[in-house]
Amino acid sequence: MNHEKIKALLNMNAVMKNLEELVRLDSQVAEQVKDLDFAMEFSTLFGPKCSVEFKAGQCRVRPGKHASPRIRLLCFSSAHFNRVMEGKSNPIPVKGIRFLKFLSTEFPKITDRLEYYLKPDGAKLADPEYLKINTRFTLNTAMNAVKFLAIHDPLGKFNRAHIPTGTVQFQVLPDGPSAVLHFDGDTIEVSDQPCASPSAVLLFKDEQTANDLLNGNCDAFAALATGDVKMKGRIPMIEAINLILDRIPMYLS
Amino acid sequence: MTTTYDYSRSQELFQRAVKVIPCGVPGHMSPGVNVPPADYPIFTEKAKGAMFYDLDGNRFIDYMCAYGPMVLGYNNPLVDTAATEQLKSADLTMGASPKMVELAELLVDMVPVADWAFFAKNGGDVTNYATMIARTATNRKKIVMIQGGYHGVAPWMQPPGHHGLIEEDYSHIIRIPWNDVNAFQQAVDQYPDQIAGFIATPYHVPTFYDNELPKEGYWPGIELICRKNDIVLILDDIRHGFRLDMGGSCEYFGFKPDLICFCKALANGFPISALVGRESLKLEAAKIFYTGSYWNQAVPMAAAIACLTELKRLNAPAVMLENGEKLFSAMQTMAAGYGYDLNVTGAWSMPNIRITNDDSNMLHQQWCAECTKRGVFLASHHNLFMSLAHDEAVISQTLEIVDEAFNAL
Repeated sequence: MNHEKIKALLNMNAVMKNLEELVRLDSQVAEQVKDLDFAMEFSTLFGPKCSVEFKAGQCRVRPGKHASPRIRLLCFSSAHFNRVMEGKSNPIPVKGIRFLKFLSTEFPKITDRLEYYLKPDGAKLADPEYLKINTRFTLNTAMNAVKFLAIHDPLGKFNRAHIPTGTVQFQVLPDGPSAVLHFDGDTIEVSDQPCASPSAVLLFKDEQTANDLLNGNCDAFAALATGDVKMKGRIPMIEAINLILDRIPMYLS
Repeated sequence: MTTTYDYSRSQELFQRAVKVIPCGVPGHMSPGVNVPPADYPIFTEKAKGAMFYDLDGNRFIDYMCAYGPMVLGYNNPLVDTAATEQLKSADLTMGASPKMVELAELLVDMVPVADWAFFAKNGGDVTNYATMIARTATNRKKIVMIQGGYHGVAPWMQPPGHHGLIEEDYSHIIRIPWNDVNAFQQAVDQYPDQIAGFIATPYHVPTFYDNELPKEGYWPGIELICRKNDIVLILDDIRHGFRLDMGGSCEYFGFKPDLICFCKALANGFPISALVGRESLKLEAAKIFYTGSYWNQAVPMAAAIACLTELKRLNAPAVMLENGEKLFSAMQTMAAGYGYDLNVTGAWSMPNIRITNDDSNMLHQQWCAECTKRGVFLASHHNLFMSLAHDEAVISQTLEIVDEAFNAL
């Protein structure tokens, strides 16, 4: 799979996946979507597809085609879709002309909010509420990216091969977000529900530590040594996941 | 009952270290590799025999031996005197030291495979040099190594995906499973006349996993394929060397490599590594310009001569194998009494130990930490090392503390 296709997969299934949390955590977006009841499908020619479904104030982002989307947006290639994600191009609406107003005014507001939370700067991160949401989104993006990089990225596949069956739990202390990666053969599942008996555990002291580490802004070995980050259990699983996580900046900046 | 240790001075210094040194303490000595780091010391104040003392004054019986270099005991008077006397004469000057010739002669005399010797500083210096010799001798590019094998930190030695590597670094590296002669034959068939060298440790010592001895017929099988296909057989004896056999670990397992890399136990902690080889590769070695600013230091050479001579006199490998068996088999019995299965793999002189009762290794990590914070330093995910300083008295003290640690679980 080429670079643009992998990037499109990550954009769909790791970045856009955060829409699910965005509608819960951002009051402005929650208000916008509370009455929406339809699905939109993003498709690329010869490339990945995904759907975004709004219903009862919730949002679900799933890989692949949707059975009955009200809106279908087409990109001519994975590269085209990636440019759309960067705000440098637009998809072609091929179904759902009556949703043009939503597409031209409402949906961009939602994606702008997503971008706001996904692109931090020093000033924004100084706000504890922003830090909390950015950390949650960064963790979500990272975990979902691992799932796809482990299958499609050459080095991701290499390192995935060294991960045995088992569950790795990531937890931001004291009461921050958690994420679980479960590996079983070729299957990788991502969940935010804690696991009773994980194979390995990575604990972050607080939101700031998690944010710094996930964004590559802190010295991981030093953080382990000081206890800001703690790990136990099957360390090779964490090491292999870490090497897969390191591939994310190759695709998402 | 031993009280558990406090590491506040070490941790204070570490806070200073992280401000001025990447990782605080980088590499394999990083506290980050211990689980949990809070239960392990960081900085050493002094050492003697089998013990070292950290900055907080805590005493540890060291079963890592500085990851292997300590083999006669810290601050061994014989080795230290040889080094000190050499320092008084000359260390690094514009002329090579006579000690270099003396040490080379000693190795050639002691190691049956060796017709010549070359000296550097670290293990990775000589494993890398060995592959360069293999390439120049065969005019081929590819090197076969074992999955999970460790030969140092040069880019080609590291697994793909690690920081600082590019694809080209490992484009001529073929990784095959340990103990699989057929996999080697398949690689040879797949890349006919392209494989320059095969490099492996005498037995498999993957970090985080149980160690694996060679299966019956493994080394003869590898050796036969190398001979049939003119592939240079390189033994990485950096970690195992002089803990199994003074003639190189190939003597212990019954095969004859073309090149052997030594380091760790060579000079009881003084910085030196050595590559020894067959006569047929001496000219190829001579063709390669390979050197370093400090590789001609005479002090480590004098230390190596003293260390090797003493190891040989004391029949060190046999003693360490015997004492290791006494200690670790006693630990296994003790563990069983507490309802734990302590799996011991590898050679008794440098075994890997692991409590197998839980799959996640968390119980094993906890037990190693309980031992360490009571004074028996055990890494939870690396093979341990015996030394000649781990005598009966030290072993008895160790078992007392280990018993307390089992009680604390």
